Amino acid sequence: MLRHLNKLRLATLTLIFAALILLPFLSIYQSYRAAYAYDLLAPTEQRLYDAMEWLTESFTNDPAEDLDAIKGTTWSASIFDLKLSDPLAVVGQIAAGARVYSPFLLSALIPIILTVLLGRFFCGWVCPATLLYEINSALSRWLRALGLRSPTRHFDLRFKYGVLAVGLLLSVATGSIFFAIIYPPAIIGRELYYAIALGGFGAGTVFFALTLLFDLLVARRGFCRYLCPGGALYSLLGRYRLLRIARKVEQCNDCTKCDVVCEFGLLPMRDGFGQECNNCTACMAVCPTDALAFRIALTDLPAQGAGHLGRTHLRHGAAHTPGEN
Amino acid sequence: MQRRGLLRRLLAFLALLAGGALPFGISRLLVPIAVADPSHLRPPGALADMRDFTAACIGCGLCAEVCPPRCIEFYTRSGGGAVNTPYIDPRASACILCGKCMEVCPTDALRVIPRQEIDMGIAKIDRDTCYPWLDRGVCGACVTVCPVGNKAINFEFANIYRPVVRDGCVGCGLCVEICPHPALAIHVRPRVA
Repeated sequence: MLRHLNKLRLATLTLIFAALILLPFLSIYQSYRAAYAYDLLAPTEQRLYDAMEWLTESFTNDPAEDLDAIKGTTWSASIFDLKLSDPLAVVGQIAAGARVYSPFLLSALIPIILTVLLGRFFCGWVCPATLLYEINSALSRWLRALGLRSPTRHFDLRFKYGVLAVGLLLSVATGSIFFAIIYPPAIIGRELYYAIALGGFGAGTVFFALTLLFDLLVARRGFCRYLCPGGALYSLLGRYRLLRIARKVEQCNDCTKCDVVCEFGLLPMRDGFGQECNNCTACMAVCPTDALAFRIALTDLPAQGAGHLGRTHLRHGAAHTPGEN
Repeated sequence: MQRRGLLRRLLAFLALLAGGALPFGISRLLVPIAVADPSHLRPPGALADMRDFTAACIGCGLCAEVCPPRCIEFYTRSGGGAVNTPYIDPRASACILCGKCMEVCPTDALRVIPRQEIDMGIAKIDRDTCYPWLDRGVCGACVTVCPVGNKAINFEFANIYRPVVRDGCVGCGLCVEICPHPALAIHVRPRVA
């Protein structure tokens, strides 16, 4: 059962990305509706109108008003009058303005609670940039098949905390929210809106393309792992998360598939999860012996040694396996 | 030995700071500060002080997504620290004072305030351009379109053609959008206190 969670995750990511594309089109459609302008539209605009009308007419009586129910991006959204914001936006705003606006702080409460319980789940399950980064990782595997060197550089994982700290300092110093221009999910949501509704990408697209190149040529998922300030914040918030992936040493056969598949370069086969793990469940999906499962605990299991189905354990016996009762 | 260790840690810390500043530096280089266009207005309910506004706005774009006339645009490739903040260019499309952006804004960059307290600026009529002021014809488009009414714009005393802006103007810019003069005889500018 657990091995299908990764498909659910990819479906969720795709759905969120599709919503970010659909919402600007709905916004345009609403403005056409509000102006009663069908007869004045160009043929292409009429096609857009017809398509959106076909999509939404069974849900709405008054599209111009009712379609306001779901608006926004993952940076900040308004869903049926419930306002949800990215915790990083709140932290950045507090730093930039040197004051707390409590309604905005409250809008980040649900994401903060979820992050404390589930860790960096946003990075694996929600972030619209993750979909593109994972496609980018697949692209780098194809390029390797063509003979290009794969991105294998490693940096210090603590770099992203430096980015978070520097971003806060810059926000305090300049009075503008610096995270908004380098944080990929904020960039994606915004740039899709700019491209569709305002007719042109902004500068964020260039920056995002640079991060894709960095991932493709220098370090696999390098931006998320080493530079993303949001990832840094969620890693800190989710340090003592309750839901963790843990290895059942009795079922592990040391095949290393999980270590290879982990986009974040973690080592599930050696019980190395830590605060970087975003519970994406990709390792569960590839495990041939179902040795990875969820566990409710505040800390990871200590290193359990070789898997009991693996060659090392079978050769040397149970005496060499720590954590065995 | 101890001093060398301290030095090394200090250098590592400085490298961390420099590395941390790198993405911000690159992204800032992509958005040069452009000369502000005086015709650009902030959306209704915006914080009066521009520094406060830039510090409060997170650049989420919700205000533009709910705007029925889609008049709200963003500084997408310029603006320095104010990049991704919203503005309205009434020459292209003006605010209809529906107030949806104020309600949807998750921050206090746009606050919900009564319509008569909105201050996006005040209209100024260029009497050397406006057709009735030059006695070149009859117009009154700005007076007709104004959503606020007599308190904001009406005709000069004893003259039924020449428009005059009053103190009640909230600066929505609908008069700018509708002005038939090719060079636009009316503009919205910040209110001088």
